[in-house]
Amino acid sequence: MRDRINQHNPDAPMGYRDRMAILRRHKIEDTQDKKGLRQYADGDDYGAITPPDDFQFKPYSNHPNGSWYGYDGWSKTFYKLMEDHPVFIDPCDAFPNRFMVCLSFVRPFPPSFNPEYPYDDLRERQAKYSIMGGIGADSHFGGDYRVGLEVGWGGLLEKLEKYREINPGHDDFYEAEILTVKGVQLWMKHTVEEIDKAIELETHPLLVENLKEMRANTEFLIDHKPETLRQACEWICWFNMASREYNRDGAGGQLDELLRPYYERDLEAGIIDKEKAKYYLACLLLNDAHYYQVGGVTVDGEDMVTYFSYMILEAADWLDSSCNITVRVHKNINKDFLKTSVGYLFKNKNGWPRFSGDDALTSGFMRKGYSKELAVQRVAVGCHWMSLPGMEYCLNDCVKLNNSKHFRIALDEMMISDDEKSTARLWELYCKHTRKAVELTAEGIMFHLKYQAYNIPELMLNLICHGTVERGLDVTAGGVDYYNMCMDGTGIATVADSFAALEQRIEKEKRLTWEEMYAAVTSNFEAMGGEVTRRMLAASERYGGGNTIGDKWAERVSKAFADDVVSMDTEKVKFIPGWFSWSSTITIGKQVGATPNGRKAGEPINHGANPHPGFRKDGALTAMSNSICTIQPGYGNTSPIQLELDPGMANDEEGVAKVVDYIRTICEQGNTLLNINIIDADQILAAHENPDAYPDLVVRVTGFTAYFCLLTPEFRKLVVERILTAA
Amino acid sequence: MISKIQNVKGGITGDMRGIVTDIMRFSLKDGPGIRTTVFLKGCNMVCKWCHNPETLSIKPQLLSYSDRCIGCFACAMACKYGATVIEGYGPGSKLAFYKDKCVNCGACADVCYTGARVMSGKEMSVDEVMTEVLQDINYYQNSGGGVTISGGEVSVQHEFALAILAACKKAGIHTAIETNMHADWRVFERLIPELDLVMLDAKLFDNESHRKWTGVSNSLILENIKKISQCLPIIVRTPVIPGVNDTEEEIAKIASFVKGLDNVEYYELLLYNPLGESKYQALGMENQFSGQKPQSGEKKRLLMKAAEACDKVVKVL
Repeated sequence: MRDRINQHNPDAPMGYRDRMAILRRHKIEDTQDKKGLRQYADGDDYGAITPPDDFQFKPYSNHPNGSWYGYDGWSKTFYKLMEDHPVFIDPCDAFPNRFMVCLSFVRPFPPSFNPEYPYDDLRERQAKYSIMGGIGADSHFGGDYRVGLEVGWGGLLEKLEKYREINPGHDDFYEAEILTVKGVQLWMKHTVEEIDKAIELETHPLLVENLKEMRANTEFLIDHKPETLRQACEWICWFNMASREYNRDGAGGQLDELLRPYYERDLEAGIIDKEKAKYYLACLLLNDAHYYQVGGVTVDGEDMVTYFSYMILEAADWLDSSCNITVRVHKNINKDFLKTSVGYLFKNKNGWPRFSGDDALTSGFMRKGYSKELAVQRVAVGCHWMSLPGMEYCLNDCVKLNNSKHFRIALDEMMISDDEKSTARLWELYCKHTRKAVELTAEGIMFHLKYQAYNIPELMLNLICHGTVERGLDVTAGGVDYYNMCMDGTGIATVADSFAALEQRIEKEKRLTWEEMYAAVTSNFEAMGGEVTRRMLAASERYGGGNTIGDKWAERVSKAFADDVVSMDTEKVKFIPGWFSWSSTITIGKQVGATPNGRKAGEPINHGANPHPGFRKDGALTAMSNSICTIQPGYGNTSPIQLELDPGMANDEEGVAKVVDYIRTICEQGNTLLNINIIDADQILAAHENPDAYPDLVVRVTGFTAYFCLLTPEFRKLVVERILTAA
Repeated sequence: MISKIQNVKGGITGDMRGIVTDIMRFSLKDGPGIRTTVFLKGCNMVCKWCHNPETLSIKPQLLSYSDRCIGCFACAMACKYGATVIEGYGPGSKLAFYKDKCVNCGACADVCYTGARVMSGKEMSVDEVMTEVLQDINYYQNSGGGVTISGGEVSVQHEFALAILAACKKAGIHTAIETNMHADWRVFERLIPELDLVMLDAKLFDNESHRKWTGVSNSLILENIKKISQCLPIIVRTPVIPGVNDTEEEIAKIASFVKGLDNVEYYELLLYNPLGESKYQALGMENQFSGQKPQSGEKKRLLMKAAEACDKVVKVL
């Protein structure tokens, strides 16, 4: 944590743009400070800064293993953290403090599920299929800021006391929640004291003025609900920071519609102008790279883009750093807004905004039996995911099935049996094992829902959900109305290309026998002639090529997986399939032996729903995108398209227009989410060589963005290879 | 939506076959909007700087990239003509290629999975081309894009090109060609009804220079350009080649010619494209422009300034 007080000559220009330029420079310095610290690597930027060197936190523990569990453990540890938490003030910033310490990272490593609720047998059964089952995973659903904005921290306390009376027998829950809110208020009080000291030290008159406003707002917000845009933004900052400190939650909301009423009220009161508002918005985005949606669609299909949506993009442009803004694309979207957003993507090359496809998301979610009114409210608030703010628990992005592993188990089973050898038989076996893995995953999720409140209750996000406080129940345990549990498949291209290679080379062309193929695969293509066989298999018709054998298999693989997942639905708990690996392509791949698509043992699987690199000679985005649109499971979760584009593709208005038309088309064709990196191959190579020389280079790793220099070498390699292949 | 378009084919000419070098989808530089470019094989000029030398001959040709070879010798075992042979014994054995014996049958490329042996040119029917082209019809419609037929030179396989263009028009797809305009006017007369746009080259204004660098006179070309500019929107392009036409004087002369044309959407300078280098090597051909780089900086600025004499919109690629 650096000292930012009184760093500027009192005569230094300090307009809003000047302050943002200083804050951006500070952010780059803070990023440098985070280098080499594991808790800041390979994830979102989070807006975090390092705590002071002498800061030490000794958590409260309510278990002999040194960890803490349940309402008691988490509320007391959180309160203790808030008591001890350092305060950071930057006089250039509209808002005080930053996220520094995440309790999830402070827990004894590796963090274990509450030992009072063991599941060793299930763990072992899941391990056979390398399932990342999400048991014990936290957050990964969206709260609704409005719940907090409408009453403030003081109002939340009153609400908790009120419902404590109404719901006797839920004292554990209410006591924990009350302590949590009081913890946040305590941090705020400490902050007010520190701002007072900063005011004494600061000599730049405009910054002193800013600090005084900051102090007044912070003190006001301890008990009151926000009234102005600045206060609303600060309230969100406080929630975001505290929630990050609690368990790293990063879900935002539909930011433009959330904040526009405050801006309009301020305008009416004559206390704001556009520049000042953009400064507040930029500071909000600087404070934390939460996931926000901008724009949207009403139930009647009307576009929700307003002038304020533009202002948010303009503020992000001022900041010119890591942001996680998603533009929701639908058939009636303001074309100029879409063009403007693509323009910023190419201008700043920071991976924002991303683009979600409303038609597929809305109609898909409705296939789960939900109304359109509800479906259009399910907004982009996570790295590849959507959630109904405050109404839904979903554990999105935490559950990954290893379909390549199912395939390899099926292949081994077929080859060592006396069964006929054919892709038809292999398909039967693959489906059998996938089904089993899906059942085991569902069993794990049900376990999680039963016991997670005794492990990690969602004490921060519960506060801004609809129903949790009213019922006295944690969100994981029945606190909200909707339970749509994520089940992401991974390795669709690895599996489809493997089936395709076998069909093409063995069954159609008869260039190989099953035995020759299996000998090559089991020797990891290292025996005599193995490399030729590997190349032959790898050169088969791949997924992503456009109506290829691989494409047909991918469609089949996705449909079978989706059918299995949705068949797990119970009356209360539903399951939603998707295809997304996050950046676990490396770890998932390490668990799978060689596969007949020419992939060697331990090599990464394909990224998300993308084809493997080299899927087609011209690498046509349209071919790849058509394939990804075709394999969408279609129940409202995403199977994103990840693109690496050269900056030269849209270096003029015509180029931007073509990219806009591309985005519109893929969204019409069923795309759910599009993540884009704009980066040239030479730059990424140079940065790979010397990351320190590129301290402000931001890349979209998967669904999340990160400073390139904060990635571990393994993650850097992953990104670099993807970009070089695309080039 | 994608599956629906599979039924839209070329109709009665769908069985016609031609030699296609490549089909490139998501092409952003070959006309308006998002396009698919179909490269036909065979050219009626021999431009010494050609960056697609594999398209000069209409016949399928073998390209050999030795740096991609892993030494499996499958190609030698597949070759029936003694063009690719294994020489030597044991660890010292190596692959040898005798180009004069190669009949471009493609047997070696068929068993080469590393891309060391690649056949350029594939016989395709109009239906097969359309099956590929139609996969991106939604992108064309949303972006004002379409299909561009390029070469080689389109007019060398004009019947095949005509059939593809007609099939595109029938499917409601915007059509364009990239052409050197070196063909009997009657060829273009037949193509015009199926075309929305012509992208044509004006390489050199001086006839002798044109003959020297391309092998043909430009009289017919200039005449055809004038005629076609009366019929269709055109984009005039000049590939700017170091030591050939990359002077302000030469570009200004072409620009003056362009000034007198109608229907010019814009005049575009195509800066030198060095990407043909590896293909020359793979074909065993000499590249007279080896090592040359695209024009940049002040040179590029001056050339653009000279091009502005055309009094039309000027672009540079």
